[in-house]
Amino acid sequence: MSARGLGEPQRHDHGAYHSRPASEVELRARALEALLVEKGLLSSDAIDTVVEHYERDLGPRNGARVVARAWVDPAYRERLLDDGTEAIAELGFGGAEGDNMVVAANTPEVHNVIVCTLCSCYPWPVLGLPPTWYKSLPYRARMVAEPRQVLREFGLELADDVEVRVWDSSAEVRYLVLPMRPGGTEGWAEERLAEIVTRDCMIGTALPTVQAGT
Amino acid sequence: MSEVPGLAAVDTALAGHAPLPRDNGELVFEEPWQGRALGMGVLVLERTGTSWAEFRSHLVAAIERRQPRAGESAATTYYAAWLDALEHLLGERGLS
Repeated sequence: MSARGLGEPQRHDHGAYHSRPASEVELRARALEALLVEKGLLSSDAIDTVVEHYERDLGPRNGARVVARAWVDPAYRERLLDDGTEAIAELGFGGAEGDNMVVAANTPEVHNVIVCTLCSCYPWPVLGLPPTWYKSLPYRARMVAEPRQVLREFGLELADDVEVRVWDSSAEVRYLVLPMRPGGTEGWAEERLAEIVTRDCMIGTALPTVQAGT
Repeated sequence: MSEVPGLAAVDTALAGHAPLPRDNGELVFEEPWQGRALGMGVLVLERTGTSWAEFRSHLVAAIERRQPRAGESAATTYYAAWLDALEHLLGERGLS
């Protein structure tokens, strides 16, 4: 089962910079949430928890399919790096916050990672709900200041000669990391490849491993 | 969290009467507010002790009431009706 982005808390509301004007129905949803919180029936955190729980049921399958296609189809990979929005739309994914997608490809020399320093912009049509840590202030601040150290804390040790590029998302551009296809996956079908592409691989805080797919 | 039904259970509870919107067989959430609307509904039901059957009847009525706006997607129409159903339920419970 898969879905386009399930949810995102409204608390980091830097609307003037990073959001489109909210639609009428979206405002109504927010008003209802505020009412329920005021009545003490639930908290915004409780909604976050439910949504995250559901998101795990769905997973970032759309992004994984994009990556797997790029691994098996060099022409698609080229289109993806040339115009991410268009190439992702080819697979039927997109929508408001998926506009202007830029795909950053990892190479043996360069490792890419995404962040939103201002709030929590995230390519949710392809990756679903952002993990809690992505929205946290320490991640947002430290990923720019000391990316290598933060990646190490995620368990990702990069060689000294690998350059780390940090991509700061905005209302105009959302980034997606295209990880390198791991060795030991020769001859794998696209569907099987998609299974080893995790959300964190596409944020850039992890690398795909063959173990994940076996 | 253990008392909150999983997505599959919610999907099953609504199937046939007011099924969750799908595209090509997959559940569709086009914008974050839609997922939050779903989450709010699940929590409200749990905390007010409302059955899915009862909420479903509110939802079916709300879907029938709602005139889709021009250019509006099926998911938007559905989750707007979802909010409407939730508001009606809260009104009944004296919580609005």
